[in-house]
Amino acid sequence: MIEFRSVYKAFDKPVLAGVDLEVETGEMFALFGPSGTGKSVLLKTTIALIIPDAGDVCVDGESVYRGLPGALDRVRRKVGYVFQHAALFDSMNVFDNVAMGMPEDVLLQQDRLTTARKVWQALELVNLEPREILTKIPVELSGGMKKRVGIARAIVGRPRILLWDEPTTGLDPVNTAAVERLISRLSRELDTTSLVVTHDIEGGLEMCDRVAMLDRGRLRFCGTPDEFRASDDPVVQAFVDRAAAERALDMADMVETI
Amino acid sequence: MKSASVSAPAPRPGLPARFLARFGRGSALVLDHAAALGTLAWQVANCTVRLRFPRRELLRQLYVMGIESLPIVFVTGALAGIVTSQQGGYQMTGAIPLYVLGSLVVQTVVLEMGPVLTAIVLVGRVGARITAELGTMKVSEQMDAYHALGRDPIQLLATPRVLAGLIAMPLLVGFANVVGILAGMVAAQLDSGLGTQSFLYGARLFWHSWDLFYSFVKAVVFGVSIPLISVHMGFRTRGGAEGVGRTTTDAVMFMTLTILILDALFPPLLLN
Repeated sequence: MIEFRSVYKAFDKPVLAGVDLEVETGEMFALFGPSGTGKSVLLKTTIALIIPDAGDVCVDGESVYRGLPGALDRVRRKVGYVFQHAALFDSMNVFDNVAMGMPEDVLLQQDRLTTARKVWQALELVNLEPREILTKIPVELSGGMKKRVGIARAIVGRPRILLWDEPTTGLDPVNTAAVERLISRLSRELDTTSLVVTHDIEGGLEMCDRVAMLDRGRLRFCGTPDEFRASDDPVVQAFVDRAAAERALDMADMVETI
Repeated sequence: MKSASVSAPAPRPGLPARFLARFGRGSALVLDHAAALGTLAWQVANCTVRLRFPRRELLRQLYVMGIESLPIVFVTGALAGIVTSQQGGYQMTGAIPLYVLGSLVVQTVVLEMGPVLTAIVLVGRVGARITAELGTMKVSEQMDAYHALGRDPIQLLATPRVLAGLIAMPLLVGFANVVGILAGMVAAQLDSGLGTQSFLYGARLFWHSWDLFYSFVKAVVFGVSIPLISVHMGFRTRGGAEGVGRTTTDAVMFMTLTILILDALFPPLLLN
């Protein structure tokens, strides 16, 4: 379970203005919102990649910011983080990148064959052919492959929670649909709690149990996908309409390209 | 008729106030950098003492900083020796015994040219590269990925680079000193007609072993400063590709100034 308690963060101006949100264990939860409303910032506060100015985040009851010493390390071990642009390490090949997803002490204790087997399985889980890409470096991979390797790195340590930061950004509609199916399947197969920050409303509504919408640093909506679709909140409706228009444009672009 | 009320703009502060404000901002920035550099140095020292750094990465950095820098250090060292020899020979013509040129070349290369020119070369070759590399990692979220995976970038990235600078720089300075002296000796023979025996006689006449120690102390200090500043600047990078370019330029300026300021501090501290 992830609990955000009155999370406040300002850079030049407030980005998160006291967000309270709870993501239940085993749940798939999507976070929507226009650009610059603090979705990714909120996600990053979960494992202190960005430290809030006020408020707290609790993961499985353990406070990240006010907990016992070592709380952050324990929380990070439970969490797999999928970055917006994969954030693969440029100087390492695919094998080393994915292996980095396992905790350091586990890597030191297990033999190299076990590490190789786990990396292999993780790559197969994200529908990549390990034999073909294990020795490649990130610059030799396509955008979609980088995303999948980034996902493999996040799941190889078998985390209980997966955080997805705009997992479909920069992908064409075909790859977007494939990655969304992958997120859905992995969350089920690995039995994880998933918090997905996404612009893709349709995808988020299809795969998630509950959704929320941030607007100007505040929680505007939180409920089931059906409630979201039926919402009479003008801000929610405007956002849904704009997102639908953008999606239609993307599709038109793709058809034109074909 | 409705009258529009327009508030008068705030008066612009006077020149002394603006100067003070600028001075205050500059001082705050310098203190901020100094505090961050001090913290980084402490963290690197901590990782070093506890042997918590990847040995393979240290070897890779040693290769990049040491072996790959040899050609450019050879050229700068040789040119420093040749120019010193040529200018010294010109100034001594007819007035001072020519064998003093041997001492002049050796002392100038060992005390000043070897360490400082090697440091300046490393600033451009290694320092800028480290800042750009780590800056790119910062803006592409690779640093965040290290944290998210429970790894420490100080341990994995900063410590091997600083240690490699600490080890490689004295070796490179030693190499530059030898090359500079040999090149100066050859130039003295060709340009001023000073034979090898006379050159070495002059060199030995005014030689102090302390000078060599001084040269290597400089090398160690520069060898730590360059990677430390470049790593620090890389970690502070913000703002995409443009930010990487801006930070790299700032880092080169910062490192060059630091080298020159430290160089000016050495004589009163170690030569008097």
